[in-house]
Amino acid sequence: MIALGIIALVTLAANGSRQLRYSAVALLGVSLAANVVTAGQLSVTQLAVEGCGALVACGVLYVAARDRTYGEDPGWRLWIATIVAAAATAACFATLRTASSDTVNVPLLGEDPSGVTAQVAAFWLISSGIAILVTARSPVRGSLGALLMVTGVQLLIRLLNVPQLGLTLLLAWIEVVVALTGGFLIVNERAVRES
Amino acid sequence: MTVALAPLVLAVAACISFGVRKRLAIVGPFALVAILTAAALVVLLPSDASGSLLDLELRLSALGRLASLVTLGTLFLLVLDVWIDEPAYNFFPTALAVGATALGVLVVTAPLAIFGLLMLGLLVPVGSFAFQVHRNRSVDAATRHFAFVSLGGSLGIGSLALAASLPHDQPANTFVLLAVVLVVAFALLLAAIPFHTHAALLASEVPTAALALYFGVLVPTTFIAFVEILTLSGLLPAIVQVVKVQDLLHGIGLVSAVGGAFLASGAPDLRRLVVYSVISNLGAALVGIATLSGPGIIGALASVIVTGASASGQLLAAGTLERRAAPERPTASRAPLAALAFVVCGFAMIGAPPLLGFPGRFFMELIAYQFAPFTGTALVAATLLLIVGQLRAVIALFGAGVARWTIESRPVAGLIGVAIFSALLVGGILPNGFLVPIAAFAEEFLRALRPL
Repeated sequence: MIALGIIALVTLAANGSRQLRYSAVALLGVSLAANVVTAGQLSVTQLAVEGCGALVACGVLYVAARDRTYGEDPGWRLWIATIVAAAATAACFATLRTASSDTVNVPLLGEDPSGVTAQVAAFWLISSGIAILVTARSPVRGSLGALLMVTGVQLLIRLLNVPQLGLTLLLAWIEVVVALTGGFLIVNERAVRES
Repeated sequence: MTVALAPLVLAVAACISFGVRKRLAIVGPFALVAILTAAALVVLLPSDASGSLLDLELRLSALGRLASLVTLGTLFLLVLDVWIDEPAYNFFPTALAVGATALGVLVVTAPLAIFGLLMLGLLVPVGSFAFQVHRNRSVDAATRHFAFVSLGGSLGIGSLALAASLPHDQPANTFVLLAVVLVVAFALLLAAIPFHTHAALLASEVPTAALALYFGVLVPTTFIAFVEILTLSGLLPAIVQVVKVQDLLHGIGLVSAVGGAFLASGAPDLRRLVVYSVISNLGAALVGIATLSGPGIIGALASVIVTGASASGQLLAAGTLERRAAPERPTASRAPLAALAFVVCGFAMIGAPPLLGFPGRFFMELIAYQFAPFTGTALVAATLLLIVGQLRAVIALFGAGVARWTIESRPVAGLIGVAIFSALLVGGILPNGFLVPIAAFAEEFLRALRPL
């Protein structure tokens, strides 16, 4: 439950930041907290792969910013994104919850075998990502939204009872490619803006 | 493991070609050899070969082999054109990476992995979309494409993951909602109307070779992935029981078929004519799938594969015509062979007999009439609008006449167009080799629809 709170707060920090470098660091925080939520369901190898993917993705965005001041001011978009994400998370949890237990027991600390915490975190990240992506004016917030969505999707896939290694590797690659593509667009957009 | 060799060869080649991408004399031939090697590996694999890699089950079905060979053939022609006629060093690693992911999509059997690989493949071309960024809006176009792919990809993978974890006693509405999200995710990726705004911007701003890579290779692969995911995910029986999803698919398909054809009929330039024609054909193919019938599925897949090949030919020809005539409007007098290639590939795009595009379109329109007379009429109207659009292009190209039929220097796009036309003509005269693998897949689809 505490990890879920950290995910929510760090997502808000990433969303509200005017500097891309701060958003990149906050994204790393989101990814670490997401790994903590599902730590019990993954092997050390899988955790290492996902951790490396997140680290590389955040590093790419950090480098693409080139200096501390570059970024996009979210302005009113921050509040719209937050309200939409909160409403969508509640709606998704009410309609799409697949956690099997009827009586939901969510511990404050430690593992959550029912997967409710992970599912709420996934819905929150995907909803936030969509809201940020749809209202983005430049690749800066576009990349942020896309990476939040990918992190949410990773959480959903971890809940599945299927062989995970291939999917874990694939999603880590998707995270890195999203960051690389976003970084490429950020650099090009900045070149256009500064010309 | 041997099933994965062809995509792995292309993936490794993409990494190597990225390292030497600025040495055009090396990277061009290297990319061509890599594609030929991958094609040889696909041909040499026994039918229905299977294996596993990293916990993922792999299988090369008859449709997978056919689509792989068409994809590799199209990629070979695109790389040849870029190497000889339109040097762009980012294109070679991009094309090889797209080939690797497309072949991966065609051999993987896990729906989540198929969607993941597809998302990777759709993101990669962003690197070749942005060019001469100070002179055009290619960065805007690439950014919009990035947003659509991220949105569609994440929504699609998320909905599949949720569908896979649903308990059996879940209410039907949950399945419907997830199937709707999946269909919308694919509509975003396929640029179906009304989710086509990124495609319109791409059409006017990015290089034609990159456009051909997207509309000629990736869009058909996305469509095949959609049908494979429907077959493998176990969602089909729920879709049959709840008619709403079938109606949604039918509605999006019909709007795209008619809307795309309408936009194509009034397209202001050659590129947009091709892009809107592709959107229209994809819409018609979605209608074919929505009929959930054998002829509809065969027609849809056949039409989409042929559309990809003919769109590649037309886009390469359009690029050559634009470059030769710049800054004026493209005319046949500057590049007659490219203009001829544009016209003959246009025949394939509208499904004119005796080309290979005809059987697919015939099946789709026939079954659409049986499904609902209005749908059949709408698809025929879409075809007529596409014919109007292509005829307008012919008049624009040849209207002023061609004073001297002197073939342009380095007629690469023209020869590629003629090669594609010849292949489609031979395929149209002898369609069995093309339609039998698609029919085998349609049988699998129908079995998944009504499991015993």
